[in-house]
Amino acid sequence: MHTFIDSDLLSRLGSLPIESRVPMMGNVAGKHRSPHRGSSVEFAEYRKYVPGDDTRRLDWKAFARSDRFYIKEFEADTNLRAYFVIDASGSMNFHSPGQVSKIEYARRIAASLAYLLVNQGDAAGLSICTDKLHLEVPPSRRAAHLERFFSTIEKVEPSGETGLIEALHVIAEKISQRAFVVILSDFFTDTDKLSEALQHLRYRKHDISLFHLMDTQEIGFQFDRPHRFVDLEDGTALVVEPNLIADEYQVALKEFMKNVRDKAHDASADYQLVTTDTPLEPLLREFLTARLPKAKH
Amino acid sequence: MTFLTPLLLWFLAAASVPVIIHLLNKRRHKTVQWAAMQFLLKATRESRGKKKLRHILILTCRALGIAALAFAAARPVVSGLLGWGAGSIDTVVLVLDRSTSMELRSGDGQAAKRDLVLQKVRDAMAHLGNPRLVLIDSASGKAQEIPSPDVLPDISSTAATDSAADFPALMNAAAEYLSSATGRSEIWLASDLQQSNWLPGDERWAAVRASISALPQKPSIRVLSLTGDSAPNVSMKLLGTRRSPGGLTLDLELVRSEEARGTLSLPLTVNTNGASTTESVSLPGQSLRFQRQIKIKDEAESGHGWLGLPADGNPRDNSVYFAYGPARPIKSLVVADPGEAADYLLLAAAPPGFEKQAAERVSPAAFATFPTSEISMILWAAPMPAGGNEKVIESFLSSGGQVVFLPSSGESTDGFLGMKWGAVTTADSGKFFILGDWNKSDGPLRDGIDGSPIPAERLRGIKRAVAEGDAAVLARWEDGEAFLSRKIIDRGTLWFLGSIPDYTWSNLGDADVLLPVTQRILSLGADRFDSSYLSEVGAEAAQTAPGEVRSRADDFSEESSAETAGVFRLGDRLVAVNRPAAEDDLAIATKDSLDAMLDGTGYRLLDQAGSASDPSLSTDMWRAFLLAVLFFLISEAILCLPKKSKDEPLPKRTFPTTG
Repeated sequence: MHTFIDSDLLSRLGSLPIESRVPMMGNVAGKHRSPHRGSSVEFAEYRKYVPGDDTRRLDWKAFARSDRFYIKEFEADTNLRAYFVIDASGSMNFHSPGQVSKIEYARRIAASLAYLLVNQGDAAGLSICTDKLHLEVPPSRRAAHLERFFSTIEKVEPSGETGLIEALHVIAEKISQRAFVVILSDFFTDTDKLSEALQHLRYRKHDISLFHLMDTQEIGFQFDRPHRFVDLEDGTALVVEPNLIADEYQVALKEFMKNVRDKAHDASADYQLVTTDTPLEPLLREFLTARLPKAKH
Repeated sequence: MTFLTPLLLWFLAAASVPVIIHLLNKRRHKTVQWAAMQFLLKATRESRGKKKLRHILILTCRALGIAALAFAAARPVVSGLLGWGAGSIDTVVLVLDRSTSMELRSGDGQAAKRDLVLQKVRDAMAHLGNPRLVLIDSASGKAQEIPSPDVLPDISSTAATDSAADFPALMNAAAEYLSSATGRSEIWLASDLQQSNWLPGDERWAAVRASISALPQKPSIRVLSLTGDSAPNVSMKLLGTRRSPGGLTLDLELVRSEEARGTLSLPLTVNTNGASTTESVSLPGQSLRFQRQIKIKDEAESGHGWLGLPADGNPRDNSVYFAYGPARPIKSLVVADPGEAADYLLLAAAPPGFEKQAAERVSPAAFATFPTSEISMILWAAPMPAGGNEKVIESFLSSGGQVVFLPSSGESTDGFLGMKWGAVTTADSGKFFILGDWNKSDGPLRDGIDGSPIPAERLRGIKRAVAEGDAAVLARWEDGEAFLSRKIIDRGTLWFLGSIPDYTWSNLGDADVLLPVTQRILSLGADRFDSSYLSEVGAEAAQTAPGEVRSRADDFSEESSAETAGVFRLGDRLVAVNRPAAEDDLAIATKDSLDAMLDGTGYRLLDQAGSASDPSLSTDMWRAFLLAVLFFLISEAILCLPKKSKDEPLPKRTFPTTG
């Protein structure tokens, strides 16, 4: 059993479906809406008949009332394909004493959501990026696929600078059909370039969710004496008196986080700021609940 | 500024502790792996300037706080004489007030102001590293170099005296001394600021200021004022003596220094020619004037004595001394033509029952040949003297005689010593000239020694003449014109009475005015024979003439210096020398008058309440330094306060509304 899997948690969350915010284009029938009209049971709309339409779908009752031909359209349901993009740059390895690292927290989120997705018949895939797109596990809805998913993220060792932006562009180009893209990262990168990558994904009509992972020490910046800070990504070092720069640090950090949130909002993406001391269950429960269609909750 | 525990100043080194801790902290950094490096770099770039300044200020506050604490612990004192920033001084000229009032003990009654100031000066000199000390004492007025401040209390030049002080002269002596001195110098004026010693209106101050500003190196002037609370004191003053064949009359005055509360009963010791008696005298208020009769059986006898009060706040103003010679008749001369006025004047000068008084009339023409050596007073009711008469009267005045001029019936335009009679004027029909105002505390119309007034308002004038010239007016008619004027000439006095005792002029002959005026002026005239037995410390009569030897005649004290009060034999003379009357006037020179006297000298007034419990001229400064510690600590705390965050809390999550 993998340490990042909490079976009790998953069993408690099992009753909550993972819904897509946009119609999906799956390869098999499923529980998610499809952009294609079909003959499913769920009525979608009427439209005027045009030559070439299947006459079997004509609504004769409507013709009798209005003397006009209408085609009755139903929504097609399909399955959801989820891609988990995990930032495995060096900065994701950071953790304050007594807390889990950001990469570990990302593992827990990704593994839990992947499990829930496969469990409800959807497909889950994985993309690990360090300075480039490092590793990919294509989405699959088979239960046996989950083990490969789990073992892959378990082996991830964060290092080097982040290649998240490039990876997102590659993913946007690579995934031909609409999908659910879950990005887990601290987003320590250029927010403008991040915005472009998110817009690229949005252009491809993907359902995007961002989990912005931060450590409490990164946000609080509480140090009582001078420290030598060594960059986890490129190894550069800086000796500073934290008391002297705390205010400026906080300002810069908050501005950055606000930027990330705004960029996510611009790309109609879900945004979750997560500190690594947050309990997983309420986080995921809130995430899943928020994605439920309004009529259903 | 000096320190009472200078060893604790080593703790000043602790001021460097915050800086050292800061530097050590910088070296003792911990290494931490960090992810959000981009914000660190940005923050480091932006935190320079204000933040660094703030940090430096915090460090400075901490260092100064510790330094101030070290200073406070070292008990800093600021010497009032030295002041802040006193550098090296080469010469200190100490002008010491040795007047009688400086013997007044401080409020706690332990030390006289003079002793106190000597102690303070000695301490201050030690703080200054003992520069050259030059003493100019008020008794001698001469500059003398003092080998060491430690001997100040022991030398005769700083001892107590019964003399007055003349500060314009003393300052002049200081300026004169400094004109030949080199280097940085200071003049320290140690005095109780008694107005009669400082003489604020004296014209010599202008010369003093000019002398000081003309010095090659302008000295700093520090006035050490000893005007604090003083012990309760009663002073006794001899206002005058009058020898009569039956004895000697002493006019005395007692003055209480403190607020009068009830009647004070004092034992008064009277010593006459070595025989002492003690009696009680009650002082009902602030002051008391009274007479004391000394019986002298032998009219040819000469003698002396003293009166003394018990020791109090100032032991040197408790005694007065007197001396007397053989009794002599009091003679007056009326210079007038025969008539009603001459008769009344003769009667007023030698009234019935006053056997020892005698009066004689001479006509103006015979006056020049009349001997005046035995005369106390001349009543001149004739045209102003001229020719030989003029010279005789001038001589009479210079020897202390009193001359009363009254208008003559005939018009006279002659003048005498700058004075002359104006035209005789007559009151309107049915009306009289009435006295409107007269001096009730000075002059022959003053109230009696028991406070009873002279009934001068009863005087009715039909005719009058007004004396014209530069004289002090002591009584005026209702319309403001002068009735009684006084002009002092040498030792004598000229008096001008604006009417005559003649029924065609006034009712002056009724004796309500004429008798007391005549008798009081006569008394002054008689003093010229008694005054040779009385003098004041510092007066010419109290000095030995060439060939004379000074020896103390009374048994009150052994002191026999020229600055001491007592009865002395100066050669063949017997003189009772009292302290100057002005010394009993305790009025203090105001700050404004000091500013005027020492204008342009940049003097500094150090008002040191004379107190033996505070013997130094210093102010303890540790409280100020503790306040500084508090200030620095509060400043440091304020600087360390975290800034209020203006940013709104970060949104934890946002979800698009699409779906």
